[in-house]
Amino acid sequence: MSDARIEGYARALFEIARAEGSLDEVEDELFRFARSYEGSEALRSALTDDMIPAAKRQAIVEDLLGGKATSTTTQLVSMVVGTGRGRDLPAIIDQLVQRASSAKNLEVAEVRSAVALTSEQQIRLAAALANATGKQVNLKVVVDPSVLGGIVATVGDTVIDGSVRTRLDQLKARL
Amino acid sequence: MNALIRIAHLVASGTEPPHQDSQGITTSSWIWPERAELIYGIAASLIIFALLVKFAGPAMKKGMAARTARIQKELDDAAGDKASAATEAADIRQAKGDIGAERERLLAEAAAQAEAMLADGRSRLETEVAEMKARAIADIETAKGRSADELRGEIARLSASAAERAVAESIDGATHQDLIEAFIQKVGASA
Repeated sequence: MSDARIEGYARALFEIARAEGSLDEVEDELFRFARSYEGSEALRSALTDDMIPAAKRQAIVEDLLGGKATSTTTQLVSMVVGTGRGRDLPAIIDQLVQRASSAKNLEVAEVRSAVALTSEQQIRLAAALANATGKQVNLKVVVDPSVLGGIVATVGDTVIDGSVRTRLDQLKARL
Repeated sequence: MNALIRIAHLVASGTEPPHQDSQGITTSSWIWPERAELIYGIAASLIIFALLVKFAGPAMKKGMAARTARIQKELDDAAGDKASAATEAADIRQAKGDIGAERERLLAEAAAQAEAMLADGRSRLETEVAEMKARAIADIETAKGRSADELRGEIARLSASAAERAVAESIDGATHQDLIEAFIQKVGASA
């Protein structure tokens, strides 16, 4: 999909979430769904298979998110999948998160950790990243077991890597 | 028989008997003509002979001379033919000699070329064998190096895999929290 079309979908989703008055929550839910979507080959195949009718793809989304996310989030994902843009869902959502963060004068900080962070840890980490980069950040935490331990934080073009995975990769390279 | 009888009579009497032929004509000799006839005959013969010598002689002499000249010419021609045949024979012999020399030269040249080709082929073969040997040695060295590299790589891969497994098993909840706290502190302190 072209950048303009991704941008158009992201703007539409952003405006709907803002109109519904649940932008923060929807943005967070969409971000987590996008990361799950990227990590699951089966989910990607199911939501991008043109042989599966749109209604059935939307039913899969509603089954997955029903009761676990707001109805706005579910409806937005269902709409994108229903229009056959499932392949671009992560890009659309990333664009939406970027737009939401920009609206609040925040920089998106994607944080990958092997285990979930507590709220208190997230607040301290956001403050530490703001301190390190000089920008207020919109923290997005992704639980990624492949990190093994520690944290990898990405703020714009800056990557701060304190993961066990990277240390092991460095050790492997030295060997 | 009659002739033998006459010869015997002539020998016995010294004179020849008169002769009578089958038509009854009698002559003084059975072989000689009458004297006058003999004289006239001889004279006529001499005159004819003299006339022949006088008139036919030059023509005959001329004819003989022409014949002699012709024969001489034929002899000269034959000599000339013989000379040209000898020259031709000499040419043929020379040509034959030239052909023989050319044959010898060609054979020598072919032998030289064959020798050169043989030497060249031998040299090329030796070069190729040397190159193949060098390549084989290089391949063996490369294979040895590759095997060593592969072994080192495999050891590194296994070591890394074992290290990863050991690290993953050794990280418990407390360690996770320690790592997260260490990261937050480090990032916070890096401003």
